Amino acid sequence: MTLRIPTLSGSKIAADSTSTEAFVVELEQFQGPLDLLLHLIRSQNIDIFDIPIAQITDQFRRAVERVEQRMSLERAGEFLEMAATLLRIKVQMLMPRRPGELFEEDPRAELVRQLLEYERFRELARSLAEAESDRAQHFGKGYIPPRPAPREVILPFDVTLEEFLTIARRLPPPPKRAPHRAALRTVTVEEKMAALREALARRARLTFEAFVAPFRTRTHAVPSLLACLELAKQRFLRLHQERAFRTLWIYRREDLEDR
Amino acid sequence: MRISRIVEAVLFASETPLTAEEIARAAEALDAKGVQAAIEELRQEYEREERAFQIYQLADGYQILTRPEYAPHLERFDSILGLARLSQAALETLAVIAYRQPVSRIEIEEIRGVNCAAVLRTLQERGLVEVVGRAEGLGRPLLYGTTRQFLEHFGLRSLEDLPRPEDLAITLQNR
Repeated sequence: MTLRIPTLSGSKIAADSTSTEAFVVELEQFQGPLDLLLHLIRSQNIDIFDIPIAQITDQFRRAVERVEQRMSLERAGEFLEMAATLLRIKVQMLMPRRPGELFEEDPRAELVRQLLEYERFRELARSLAEAESDRAQHFGKGYIPPRPAPREVILPFDVTLEEFLTIARRLPPPPKRAPHRAALRTVTVEEKMAALREALARRARLTFEAFVAPFRTRTHAVPSLLACLELAKQRFLRLHQERAFRTLWIYRREDLEDR
Repeated sequence: MRISRIVEAVLFASETPLTAEEIARAAEALDAKGVQAAIEELRQEYEREERAFQIYQLADGYQILTRPEYAPHLERFDSILGLARLSQAALETLAVIAYRQPVSRIEIEEIRGVNCAAVLRTLQERGLVEVVGRAEGLGRPLLYGTTRQFLEHFGLRSLEDLPRPEDLAITLQNR
């Protein structure tokens, strides 16, 4: 088995093709180990279907070693796991194949598949970014926020600096710029009560989870719970929960007609 | 009063895209087809008169937005509604979800090779993705999908509008 040293084109790499020292990458700029590996492969014009695993493994480990200490444990773990995978592949490639294993898959195959798949999604992410840029060129109503009403301060003409500063200090601080939140439709308890009545007209019981499942936001969950409590108070339904955090069952009250 | 003017009024008053059906609620005489015809009429009128805005189709609906050539002028305003751009991590995660939905966190992480819990949470908070169900099998993991807000953010009419590289169709079929 031979490890192919790729032909290096491009100026990023030192003339000595076996050198890994010259290959300096800034790890922070990479999303993760796959992103880094792809960079190593693509920037050196390496054939992805014939990765020189020993060379890439070295470069990868050097890149990680330098910054490992500064990374969060989890992020470091992700890179180290890949380093281990590369080493395992390297060892597998060095092992002689027995005759019977003639058709065994190339140890690199799974990694290559993973790299290609990730690369494709990275491309798609790029096209999404383009779509985002195009969209950002269009503005809807409300883009320019209303101007806050001016506060009138009438100063006498003979104002001293001190008086001026006293007044200046009384001015309210500039408003904090809050991130924009899309206005959510306000969900009312009444609305949820109606929905509950309707749901319980069709069946005798349901779980609270099922009732809020289509929405999954606090804006819906809170009025839903309040609606349950209100209807329970009105003796329209009965709530049952074996213990805290267990499934909350909503039962239709069969004695409704009695009232 | 012309039908198209009613449609125009509704679109003018809305800050989010409205579907043809939603707009049709404005008048008894209106239906989705009538709305679409009125919108076409308005679009041509705006084009003819070189208005600064146009009716755009996004997220299954219609919305009046300014034309791109006015963006440099509008960007001079310190707006609160400016579209906040997404990070690379967010874009990659969204790409996986958009093309593979419904998809579990594990699947996303296998493709990206990194933990995606935090970025998924952010995307959920921004309303770009949501839980759409649970997978069968061990632990019944949550499955994620994109939202209407996602379409609005990227100016897409529907998921059909997503860029479709040729080889991707194969990947989608193989699942």
